[in-house]
Amino acid sequence: MAIITLPYRYMERLTGTDRQTIIDRVPMIGADIERIEEDHVDVEFFPDRPDLYSAEGVARAMRGFLGIEEGLPVYTVRPSGITFSVDPGLADIRPCLASAVIRNVDLDEEAIESLMSLQEALHWAVGRGRGKVAIGVHDLDAVTPPFRYIASPRDRSFVPLDFEREMTLEEILTDHPKGRDYAHLVEGFSRFPLIVDADDRVLSFPPIINGELTRVTTATRNILLDCTGTDKKAVMTAVNIICTALAEAGATIEMVTVDGQEMPTLAPAERVVSVEECASLLGLPLSVQDMTRLLGRMRFGAEPDGDSRVRVLVPCYRSDILHDWDIFEDVAIAYGIENFDAALPATSTVAEEHPITAIARAVRSVMVGLGYLEMMPFTLTNERVLYANMQREPSPGTLRLLHPISEEQTVVRTDLLGLLLEMLQANKHRELPQRLFAVGDVVEACVTYQKVAAVSIHPAADFSEAYAAADVLCRELSLQYTVVESADPAFLDGRRGDIIVGGRKVGVFGEIHPAVLNAFDLEHPVAALALDLTAVPGYPVPPGTPSPGGR
Amino acid sequence: MELTLNEKKLLVALGPVGSADAATLADLMDTRREAVVQYANLAGERGLVDVEKHVSRRYVPTEEGRAYVGKGLPERQVLESFGEAIPMRDLQAHPLAKIGIGWMRKKGWVVIRDGVVQKTGSAFLGPDEAAFARASESGAVEDGEGVIDLARRGLVQEEETVTYTVSITPSGRDLLAKGLDLQEEVGTLTRDQILSGAWKELPLRRYNVDKLPKRAYPGKTHPYQRLLDEMRRVLLDMGFTEMAGGIVQSSFWNFDALFQPQDHPAREMQDTFFLGERWPLPPGYEHIRDMHEHGGETSSAGWGGTWSAAKAEQCVLRTHTTGLSIQHLAEHQKPPVKAFCIGRVYRREAIDPTHLAEFEQLEGIVMDEGVNFRHLLGYLKEFYGKMGFEKVRFRPGYFPYTEPSVEPEVYVDGLGWVELGGAGIFRQEVTAPFGIEHPVLAWGLGISRVAMLRLGLRDLRQLYRSDVEWVRETPTYGGGR
Repeated sequence: MAIITLPYRYMERLTGTDRQTIIDRVPMIGADIERIEEDHVDVEFFPDRPDLYSAEGVARAMRGFLGIEEGLPVYTVRPSGITFSVDPGLADIRPCLASAVIRNVDLDEEAIESLMSLQEALHWAVGRGRGKVAIGVHDLDAVTPPFRYIASPRDRSFVPLDFEREMTLEEILTDHPKGRDYAHLVEGFSRFPLIVDADDRVLSFPPIINGELTRVTTATRNILLDCTGTDKKAVMTAVNIICTALAEAGATIEMVTVDGQEMPTLAPAERVVSVEECASLLGLPLSVQDMTRLLGRMRFGAEPDGDSRVRVLVPCYRSDILHDWDIFEDVAIAYGIENFDAALPATSTVAEEHPITAIARAVRSVMVGLGYLEMMPFTLTNERVLYANMQREPSPGTLRLLHPISEEQTVVRTDLLGLLLEMLQANKHRELPQRLFAVGDVVEACVTYQKVAAVSIHPAADFSEAYAAADVLCRELSLQYTVVESADPAFLDGRRGDIIVGGRKVGVFGEIHPAVLNAFDLEHPVAALALDLTAVPGYPVPPGTPSPGGR
Repeated sequence: MELTLNEKKLLVALGPVGSADAATLADLMDTRREAVVQYANLAGERGLVDVEKHVSRRYVPTEEGRAYVGKGLPERQVLESFGEAIPMRDLQAHPLAKIGIGWMRKKGWVVIRDGVVQKTGSAFLGPDEAAFARASESGAVEDGEGVIDLARRGLVQEEETVTYTVSITPSGRDLLAKGLDLQEEVGTLTRDQILSGAWKELPLRRYNVDKLPKRAYPGKTHPYQRLLDEMRRVLLDMGFTEMAGGIVQSSFWNFDALFQPQDHPAREMQDTFFLGERWPLPPGYEHIRDMHEHGGETSSAGWGGTWSAAKAEQCVLRTHTTGLSIQHLAEHQKPPVKAFCIGRVYRREAIDPTHLAEFEQLEGIVMDEGVNFRHLLGYLKEFYGKMGFEKVRFRPGYFPYTEPSVEPEVYVDGLGWVELGGAGIFRQEVTAPFGIEHPVLAWGLGISRVAMLRLGLRDLRQLYRSDVEWVRETPTYGGGR
C-alpha cells in the first residue's frame, strides 16, 4: 500500500490544529499509522480513498472531521483557453485523456517530492500500475499550446527524462529503466501514444516516460497535467484528486478543452439518500439534521430534502462513493466508530455442525484412541512427494498451479500418505515409535473431499499393525468393508491390502515399500493406511466448484 | 525403614565379608553387577552400606595394534628386515614399508641418500616400544610413558573401567544382627493371588515414587486443531451453522460475486494461485455482470467498463471463504441465517516465518431482518470475548465487499492493540443480484495470528510442518496459554 508522509508543520498550517491531535485522531478516519518520526508521521490509507494520498487531502478531511471547516470544499475553475485534441487512431491503444492547467504553484524540493509520491500512489491505486491511468506533470511554460495526443510511429524520437540524448520510442522500451518497467503496457501496438505541442515537440510518451523538455523544477510556476488511460472515469478521478490537492496548497486550477469538452469542472455529484435507510443500517436514531451535520464533517455538501431525505453533494475527488451505503459509512465514521454501542440482536437460530467436520472429528477420536499423533500438513505439495517417491502414477485429476512460487509447492495434494512420510523424515531425530495421522482435504479434478492417512514407524512395524488399525478405523466408522490384495506400488507385495466398500476401492493399508522408505530417507519399517472418507455413510456429495456441469 | 528384599539380600551377602566389589557380590547373590550397584545405592541412601566408585583407565591395542603384538612396531620390523643399507625401491616391497619408513626417519634410525636407505646406527628401544611390549604381554597397559604416543598413532585405545566396592556400615550390621525376613516380595499380583485371598499374607514390593516413570506419549490431536475446534465450539454455541466447501473456486465466486472489480490487484497472478481449469458461469450470472458494469438495479454506479465472462470462468485456489458465504446465502434466502466456516485459504506468498501460501480463515455471517452495524460490533465483541480477548475496539476499515467496514483490534498483554481480522456489512452490490433482501453482517479473521498468540509460536510453519516433539509436549488443555 502507499505510504503517505504527513509533515507536522505543514499539516498544522493546513489544518490549524496541533500535531498530537492529528496523530490521535487520524486513525479514526481510516489511517494506519506506520511510523511516528521527529518531524512527520507516515500513514497508510485504504485503496478506496486515493483522495487521502496527499498531505493536502488528509488535511482537508481532518479539518472536517475535527469540526474546523465543514461541508463541501468549493474549488473555482477558470478557462485557460488551452485545447487538447485526441487522435482517433488511439481508440484501440489508449483512448482516454483528461487534462488540466494548474497555475501559481510554489514548489520547493519537498513539494516536488510530495507531488511525485502522490502521482506514484495514484498510479498504484487508481492506475493499476499505469495500465488504467498514467499521469504526466509538465512545466507548461516550456511548451506551446494547443496540444495533441497522437498515435505516433514507433521510430519517432525525443529526449526522455533522466537522459541527455534523443531516443526512439522503441529504444526507450529497451534502454530506459522506465521503458523496461512498463514496456508490457504498449507492446504489440503498431503505433505508440505520444503527447506533442503546437511545435510538434514531445511532452510525453504515456504511459512510459515524460520528455526532459517539460521537467518540473523549483522554477516551475504553471503546470500542465495529463492523465491518459483506458477508463474515462479513472483518468478524470486522477485529475480531480491532483487538482484539488494542489488547490488546497494554494494553486489555481484552469480548464483545458479536450476535443471540445471543458475539464476539469471539479463539480460535485449529487445523491439523494434516505435517512431511515441509513439509520436502520447503522442502528442509530438519526434525524435529518443529525445526518446533515455528520455528512458535513466528512466534507459532503448536505442539506435536508423534505423530512426524510438528505441531498448530498459528493466532492469530485471521492471516487469511492458508488452507492448510498458508501455515504452511510461516512456517517458512521463521522459519528465515531468508537461511539457505537455494540449490541446483540434478538435473532434466534439453532446451530448445526457440518457433516464433514462431524466425520473428521470421529476419525480423529479413533486415531487418537489408537495412539496416533495428529499432523496438519500443507495442502500444497509437489509431484515428487505425491508420486515419484511413492512409486505411484500421477493422478489424472492433479491440479497444477499455473504460477507456483517454489518447487516445493507446485500441486494441490491428491493424497496424504506421502506428506506423512515426509513428516516422518523431518522428525527422524525424534524418539520412536512415531505414530502420525492426518485428516483433511484433498482435491482431484477440482473436487474437494476428505481423506485420512496414518503411518507408524518403529523396528517392529508390520502388516499386522496396519491391518489392525485399518480394521479398527473401518469398524468405528460403520463401514461394511472387505479386503483384497492390493497392487499399490507404495506398499510391499504380499503385505498390502485394498479396502473395498460397495465394490469401490476406498483405502489401502500395509507395509510401505523399502524403495519408498529409501526415497524418504527412512530407516525403519512403516505400517500405513489411507482411507477416502467419502465412503463413510452420511458423507455429503463432495462439494466441488459451485457451478456444476464439469469443465 | 522398609527395606526391599534385594537390599536385605545384599546385607546378608555382605555380612560375612564386610566389604566386597560389586562383581563378587553379583556372584554371591546370583544376579547382575548392575543390579548389585542399584541395590547398594538404595541401601547406601539409608546409611546401611558405603558405596565407593573407582574409575581406572587402561589402554588396549586397537585392531591395528593387535596386528603388531609379539612382532614389534612396524618401524622396528622394517628396520630389522635389512642390513646396513638397502635401495629404497627394494625396501618398498616390505608390507609395512609405507608406515615403517616414515617412522624410521622420524625417529632418526635411518637416512635416505640417493635412493638408498642407510641405518644411522642409533635405534634404541624407545618408551613407546617398551609400553607396547608391556601391552602385548598383558593385553592392556596402564597409563605411563610412551602410551600417549601409541594412542595418538591409533595403536592403543583408552578404556575406562568403573568398579564399585560395597562395605557394610555399623548400622547395617545392627540391622543384620536383628535378623531379616527374606521372604520373596510380590510385584504384579496374579489372578490366583487375588481370588484366593493370598494377597492378604503376601509381602508386596514397594515402589519408589521419587523415581520418574518411563515417559509415555499418548496419541492426541494437533494443538492447532484443538484451537480450531475451540473456535468452532464458540460459534456453534452462539448458534451459527457450519459451512464447508471446495478449495477450488471459479473467479466468479471468489471475486465477481463479491463485487471485486475485474482489474483489482488481488486478481493478478502475483497474488492469487490461478489454475488452468475453467468452470462455466452459473445461471443468472448476468445480474452480477450488470452490477459490475452499471450497478444493476441498486443505487450503485457499478465499476463501469465491460465485464468479462472469460475472466470470471478462470479457476483459482480460494483466496478467502467469503465465496462460500455468498453461495450459502443464495441457497438460504429466508431469514434468519447465521453461518460460519473455518477453512484453508490461499495467497501467492513466499513462505517465511510469518507468511504462508495457505492458512486457515474463519468467517461468520448473520443475515436477518433489521440487523445493523451495532449488531455487527456486538457479535464481534462476543466472539472475541469468548476467544479470551476481553478488550476489543474498532477502527474504520475497507474491504471491497462490505460497506460499512471495520477493523477490530484486540488488546494483548505485552503487545498492545493487535489488528485481528476484518468485518462489515455486505454491500448491496453483493447481495442484491442473489435476491438477498436483508443486511448481512460478516466478519473474518486469519486464525494463524490467533495461533501465534495462543500457542506462543514465532514461526507459523510449525503449525503445518510440526516437530513431533512440540506436538508431544504441548499440553492438551491449558498450559498457561
